[in-house]
Amino acid sequence: MHFKKILGLAAVAASAILLASCGNNSSKSSSKANDTLTFWYGGDADTAVKPIANEFTKKTGVKVKIQSIPWSQYNDKLLTAAASKTGPDVLVVGTTQMPNFVGSKTLMDITDTVKSDSSIAPDKFFTGSENTTKFNGKYYGLPWYVETRVLYYRKDLLKSVGYNQAPKTWDELYDAATKLSKRGKNMYGFNVDGAEPTFGFMFARQNGATLLKNDKPQFNKKAMVDSLEYLNKFTKNGASPKQDTKLSIGQSFGGNGPVPMFISGPWMMSSIKNDAGLKDSQWGVAELPKGKVSNMSSTGGGDLAVFNYTKNKKNAIKFVKFMSKKENQLKYYKNSDSMPTLKAAWQDESLSDSRIQVFRKQLNNSEPMPLIKQWDQIGQNYLKAWEQIALNNADVQKTMDTFNTQTEELINK
Amino acid sequence: MSMGKSIRNRLMPYTFVLPALLLLFLFSLIPILIALVISFTGLDITGLGNWSTVKFVGLDNFVKLFHDSQFLQSIGNTLYYVVIGVPLVVLLSLTVAILINFGNNKFFSFLRLIFYTPSITNTVAVAVVWTYMYNPNMGLLNNMLGKIGIGPLQWLNDPATAKISLIILAVWKAIGLNMLIFLAALQGIPRSLYEAAELDGANWWEQTRHITLPSLRFSIFFVSVTTLIGWFQFFDEPFVMTKGGPLNSTNSVALFVYQNGFQNSNFGYAAAGSFIMFAAIIVATLIQFKIQKKQQGE
Repeated sequence: MHFKKILGLAAVAASAILLASCGNNSSKSSSKANDTLTFWYGGDADTAVKPIANEFTKKTGVKVKIQSIPWSQYNDKLLTAAASKTGPDVLVVGTTQMPNFVGSKTLMDITDTVKSDSSIAPDKFFTGSENTTKFNGKYYGLPWYVETRVLYYRKDLLKSVGYNQAPKTWDELYDAATKLSKRGKNMYGFNVDGAEPTFGFMFARQNGATLLKNDKPQFNKKAMVDSLEYLNKFTKNGASPKQDTKLSIGQSFGGNGPVPMFISGPWMMSSIKNDAGLKDSQWGVAELPKGKVSNMSSTGGGDLAVFNYTKNKKNAIKFVKFMSKKENQLKYYKNSDSMPTLKAAWQDESLSDSRIQVFRKQLNNSEPMPLIKQWDQIGQNYLKAWEQIALNNADVQKTMDTFNTQTEELINK
Repeated sequence: MSMGKSIRNRLMPYTFVLPALLLLFLFSLIPILIALVISFTGLDITGLGNWSTVKFVGLDNFVKLFHDSQFLQSIGNTLYYVVIGVPLVVLLSLTVAILINFGNNKFFSFLRLIFYTPSITNTVAVAVVWTYMYNPNMGLLNNMLGKIGIGPLQWLNDPATAKISLIILAVWKAIGLNMLIFLAALQGIPRSLYEAAELDGANWWEQTRHITLPSLRFSIFFVSVTTLIGWFQFFDEPFVMTKGGPLNSTNSVALFVYQNGFQNSNFGYAAAGSFIMFAAIIVATLIQFKIQKKQQGE
């Protein structure tokens, strides 16, 4: 495994050259016949997508071959497809991956389709999601499912420190967390997530920060620095663990709740229900506490895109459109808990659960991270900068000055 | 003897190795060469889909690497792994092999099985389990240490102990296979040597020192080289358990290359990093070969 991983890089590059040289003009699509589509899905498609795809086959006669690829390997897989120009016909692309694979010309420009069909018109989707499909005024995908982050909290524990509701402002959050952390050793109030690359940026936006201005990072400006100072207060006074506690959700949120408040996405809902051993009345979700300017959350999710080198464009687009129908987004939600991107879908009864509706409200105040291809790396660098602050007691302003210069170089490269 | 026959005779062996050679070229040498070319470019994800945007940057990547504090730290970490890990693995597996070689009954073959088991486990799965054992709040290790009044240790959470924690796991996993190699070699030593030594009145330690160790010279060399190369490429454990943290203290060069190549899509930069590692491994192996030759010349 060691050797393979390292030479893997060489192998990707090599296959790129080899395949590019023998297939430059005749880029192959993996589907041989015109009545079969290949669809790449990150995760387990068997229960989530297959039933919907079967209906598509029933209706159109076009077979759909679904390939399930674990998320952890999905990016590697897309890289090989980008390099070799050989891949599926239709694929899911994580919203944060979009700029990369639009940049590498892996995804097809489907602006004409989007503009010619009112049922998938951009204003039918959440703005935060739609933004992840649009680059330089052109559309490269349809928003398929959406994630946003909300505050998870233990109702019973917050009540014990005098909060009958979730904290509504930064001040309340800090106050509640500090009180909760006084419960004893290894007890905290809130998790300042040191493994989540969007965390500091999300708080910075709530504090009025613009992350990028004309492609220039603004990370060492007052709005962002102050928000990190605010987060650092939690780790300094023990209201938050300094780094990942490596506890499972049942251990950190269940029982006596060492970490009774944290920010996360909809995928935590079923984990808590299944593993935390909590009664429904013991926990809840709430919109994020408001900072100086807003309670802006961070949008994620997945888009459906057509592979740029497909030989089956017509059917591929048909499939993408079919999957984006309201009833199919709802079916997908039921199969996988992935929330629909169509605003209209949210009126459906299946989404009437009060917790789910919190996500709906949060979506009104939620934006994706800046959509530039360097953002993945910027996010990773942010985590390292934050580690310096939280673990090494580095000066926040100085750390962010360095981080800002580093990012400028990265973008200008 | 005709001329034609001698040429055919001389060509014959090459036709036999040709398939293997072809595979070696296609899947090892050519990719390595391409990676070398890439290391002189600024290839990133845009360039992957559109070759015309790829810029030739000369030695820029290499220059930048040696100004990248994270890369330098990864080199330091890797050397730390190598300097501590390699002798530990060789010493411990040799010791275990010699001890197990004492007896020949069921109990000893059972012990052999116990020591060998870790090497047939999957690193990733084992690493996940060890992450639980290392957990500072509820892990097995701190729990047991607490009973005898030690700790709690931070294990993977503290830059000072994280590297050691990874080494412990990797050594535990590496002992089995190398022990087996030593055992095979031990059983190949002629009994007559020991019998002669016994007649001369040599005790156990003298026998080990003057018969066992010299006879094992080649297997010790083999184990050292393969272990050294393995530790230079230390990857799985930090990848699964720490992602290189905390504070970059467990990042290895191999992991650095992976992060830059596959997470950040800086293929040129990552390829340059992997070539520095490649060079380091070759140099280290050559030095070992030199030492080995010198010893044989004694």
